[in-house]
Amino acid sequence: MLKRTLIGSVFSLGLIGAALVQPALAQTAGGVANAVIQPEPPGLMLGMVQNGPTQMVAGNIYEGLLRYDEALKPLPGLAESWEMSPDGKTYTFKLVGNATWHDGKPFSAADVLFSVDFLKQTHARARGNLAKVASVTAPDPRTVVFTLSEPFGPFLGIFEVGSLPMIPKHVYEGTDYKTNPANNTPIGTGPFMFKEWKKGSFIRLVKNPNYHVAGKPLLDEIYWHVIPDAAARAVAFETGKVDILPGGSVENFDVPRLSKAKGACMTTKGWEFFGPLSWLWLNNRQGPTANKAFRQAVMYALDRDFARDVVWNGLGKVAVGPSSSSTRYYNAKLAKYSFDPAKAKALVKESGYKGETVRLLPLPYGETWQRWAEAVKQNLEDVGIKVELVATDVPGWNQKTSEWDYDIAFSYLYQYGDPALGVARNYVSSQISKGSPFNNVEGYSNPAVDKDFAEGAVAVGDAKRQEIYDRVQKTLIDDVPIAWLLELEFPTITRCKVKNLVTTGIGVNDGFRDAWIER
Amino acid sequence: MIGFVAGRVGKGIVVLLAIVVLNFFLIRLAPGDPALVMAGEAGAGDELFVAQLREKFGLDQPLPNQLALYVRNIASLDLGYSVRQQMPVATLIADRLPATLLLTGSAFAISLVLGVTLGALAARRAGRAADTAITGLALLFYATPLFWVSLMAIIVFSVRLEWLPSFGFESVGAGHAGLARAADIAHHLILPAMTLGLFFMAVYVRMTRASMLEVAGQDFVKTARAKGLGDRTIQRRHVLRNALLPVVTLAGLQAGTLVGGAILTETVFAWPGIGRLMYEALLQRDYNLLLGVFVVSSAMVLVFNLVTDVLYRVVDPRIEAAR
Amino acid sequence: MSAPPRRRGALAAFLRHPGAVIGLVILLAVVAAAILAPILYPTSPWRMVQRPFMPPFTLDRFPLGTDALGRDIAAGLMHGAGVSLLVGLVSTLAALVIGVPLGALAGYFGGRVDDGLMRFTELFQTVPSFALAIVLVAILQPSLSSLILAIALVSWPPVTRLVRGEVLSLRSREYVQAAVVTGQTTFTILRREILPNTLSPIVVLASLMVATAILLESSLSFLGLGDPNRMSWGFMVGAGRTAIRQAWWISTFPGLVILLTVLALNLIGEGLNDALNPRLSRGDR
Repeated sequence: MLKRTLIGSVFSLGLIGAALVQPALAQTAGGVANAVIQPEPPGLMLGMVQNGPTQMVAGNIYEGLLRYDEALKPLPGLAESWEMSPDGKTYTFKLVGNATWHDGKPFSAADVLFSVDFLKQTHARARGNLAKVASVTAPDPRTVVFTLSEPFGPFLGIFEVGSLPMIPKHVYEGTDYKTNPANNTPIGTGPFMFKEWKKGSFIRLVKNPNYHVAGKPLLDEIYWHVIPDAAARAVAFETGKVDILPGGSVENFDVPRLSKAKGACMTTKGWEFFGPLSWLWLNNRQGPTANKAFRQAVMYALDRDFARDVVWNGLGKVAVGPSSSSTRYYNAKLAKYSFDPAKAKALVKESGYKGETVRLLPLPYGETWQRWAEAVKQNLEDVGIKVELVATDVPGWNQKTSEWDYDIAFSYLYQYGDPALGVARNYVSSQISKGSPFNNVEGYSNPAVDKDFAEGAVAVGDAKRQEIYDRVQKTLIDDVPIAWLLELEFPTITRCKVKNLVTTGIGVNDGFRDAWIER
Repeated sequence: MIGFVAGRVGKGIVVLLAIVVLNFFLIRLAPGDPALVMAGEAGAGDELFVAQLREKFGLDQPLPNQLALYVRNIASLDLGYSVRQQMPVATLIADRLPATLLLTGSAFAISLVLGVTLGALAARRAGRAADTAITGLALLFYATPLFWVSLMAIIVFSVRLEWLPSFGFESVGAGHAGLARAADIAHHLILPAMTLGLFFMAVYVRMTRASMLEVAGQDFVKTARAKGLGDRTIQRRHVLRNALLPVVTLAGLQAGTLVGGAILTETVFAWPGIGRLMYEALLQRDYNLLLGVFVVSSAMVLVFNLVTDVLYRVVDPRIEAAR
Repeated sequence: MSAPPRRRGALAAFLRHPGAVIGLVILLAVVAAAILAPILYPTSPWRMVQRPFMPPFTLDRFPLGTDALGRDIAAGLMHGAGVSLLVGLVSTLAALVIGVPLGALAGYFGGRVDDGLMRFTELFQTVPSFALAIVLVAILQPSLSSLILAIALVSWPPVTRLVRGEVLSLRSREYVQAAVVTGQTTFTILRREILPNTLSPIVVLASLMVATAILLESSLSFLGLGDPNRMSWGFMVGAGRTAIRQAWWISTFPGLVILLTVLALNLIGEGLNDALNPRLSRGDR
């Protein structure tokens, strides 16, 4: 039985943060944080829009029931404690008593029930995560009970702010969600309130004076600056106009220089919850990539150490297989593929490849990805595979991958800490469906794998789950449905005077509630 | 004159309508649509999600219906709604338009004033060192890629010398008001306006120089000289005034290029104008917004052309409206 | 018609123009680079041959250093010469193929044909051209041919305006009128009597258009809309710009050759203008 009190959680937060070396008393309130946001989000209503930049900004405005530390253990959010029934089918959350919405209305269990309903309609990932929920009830205004139809191992992992943000019932109930004017002036319970958005220039958030955690937040204001050109973002940091560059906001080639600049600090923490893993979709349906030997050849042909050292400037880890190392039930012992062009050549020959041109689709997310695609093209050509790069922009990439119109395509996806949440979707045959670039895009179908993933999700107990997931990972690594590249690390670069910015496994996306500026 | 202006406005509206229809179809030829983009950015999505978004964007309607609706809206001066940004397109553009007008306006003024001055100087010293220096310099600015000059300018003036801000429209959060704010904006404007202006300056230098040399050889100038007028007076009153006519025409034709060039400048300097808005709308397949920017920027060019035509007729009443 | 002797005089006039000669020398060097690239650098310019970010003049084999992936910049410049010239020449030719007939028809027939065609031209001149080029490349998806097509489609209007003006003035000349009276077909008149006499200003304009096309290609590449399978100068500048602070040479060298080539083409254009149209002022149409 898992139970935590508020006091216990404050203690654990103190351990995680820099407060370990710095007494908590030294924290000074006040000041303005200047951060970069790239690209400009389409909206800030986290229940309606779920892209990366939206969460990065709106993670300050909205909150979920739970947060997660770097080891992905749940931390209190809007729920101060929680417990699971022994059969793994009932979860009871006790909500904090003093949380209010930014418009002054109190936050209560009714809002949680409403949010679950709301997100099932608007949030594709939440819809999947909540699939095993049979009912949600509120016995009293501070208690919420989720009853599941069958045990679901990763259930406590779905309550982070981006996955299940709390939506104000009194603002949205009975309205058309899409056109509700509050979408432009989002109202949450978070440590910062929306103040102003000058499109194309900046988003301004201000301190929530009635925040439910005493003494937080410490900052007065946050400015998110919109700067479209990567080089200009780097200059903005160098010239002191911004102090926070969240992961991915500058090109990798700039990272060493910027992080070594005077007074600059860098951390790669704060992405554990997401566990971003990059890979090449290999079209299992047609062409040379339909052949298993050919797919294995691709794995041996890739110089992934070079990619990490040169393209990613030494950041990241060479991927072992379908699971990222921060995801549960990862097993490093399963590693199989190393850079071996000779073996790759032999396998290419064995596959019966006849020199067809293979179309390689880079990810249109900037120079780093473009360079990476160029390097992969060279790797493949070195073992005798003829490659043509297909240039597209973001919509073109989405269309080509979701319509299966590619041979090899770059991608990276988040894993959300558990194989049942972020791994299974890319390999089980029930997830083969046109129209989405995030399911089983490669068209891999293996009944044994389907069975293992289905069992792993509902198995009770870590030992049992580990056994199942070891088996399925081994099968996948041998079959190479897709070619795993690197576990990505997105460095957050800050001025060192900005303290306690990244304190959880959700990192910058979790809001700036603990951050403060040293003066 | 009123008849002339009315005729031009009528023709302008026809051109604008053709632009709307042409671009409406062009944009939809591009692969992907806004629903797919948003699903892609969410990092998750199933068919239901994409279908909901398509409905939200009105993309489930047949194409002719979408076009009819759009044209009807445009006719009533309604640019539609950007579902992606959750705002009317007109509001989004109105937010950004002043920045673009300020940037292109200043760049235009810089290019014209510098261009005509330097061009006139070069013409007076034709064949001598000053002429070679000026035409060489102008050519250099013209031949250097615009984005390259911009990056270099940032490195020199923002990073090394720390004289000028490298990005943005004003100091965010500085709380400037009134004159202080105007000065702050002007400070931010210098780099983008100069880099854009210097590129176009080259065109006017050449034009003015060539035009002045040609006019200087014409009979009425010889007559003026024969009348014993001073060289300075001749240059100013006779040569420059007449030489400016083709420059004005060219300026009108350059308007579209200037607005296009602003896309690069706005991107490099994070200038919150409509050029960048257009590029982002394209990458997001935000159809209504993209069309809206096309309509507004084309209308800007048309108005500008009209103004130069009227100016032309004012400067030189002999010109009969050929078209 | 006394074209040949005039042309010979023109050549002399052109060669007397020092700028034009310098331009011609630079352009010939670029052409030579394009031709010699496959011989001097037989392997692909995309090959990663040395450690990344190697400064220029460190190793004799790689005089201009290497880029972010360790590719030889000198090899890239040589191979890029061909791509940039190809983009410039083919897109200009395509623009002429669209622009010349439209201008000739408008100028020859006048009236309603003229009105309609000029409205159509205006359409393309009103839409900001760079924006239109971006949209076209986005629709067709970046590749060498889509870049060329997009550049051609936004650069033909000046050709039409120029040709129309020329034809309009030639139309009333006596020898054209004579041809009309003797019953020659419109096509023949245009081809034999009128268009040859518009050649000089077209050549001048075309030389400047090649330069503009090279610049346009580099701008599109800068925005990430280049062809990823072709090593062009624009691609090199665009790819090097993110590393410009730690490795100036990656985008400086291709930037310089773009500058030199565009400069050369402009100088040639001016020389041609002075040589072919001694009476005409530049671009005055």
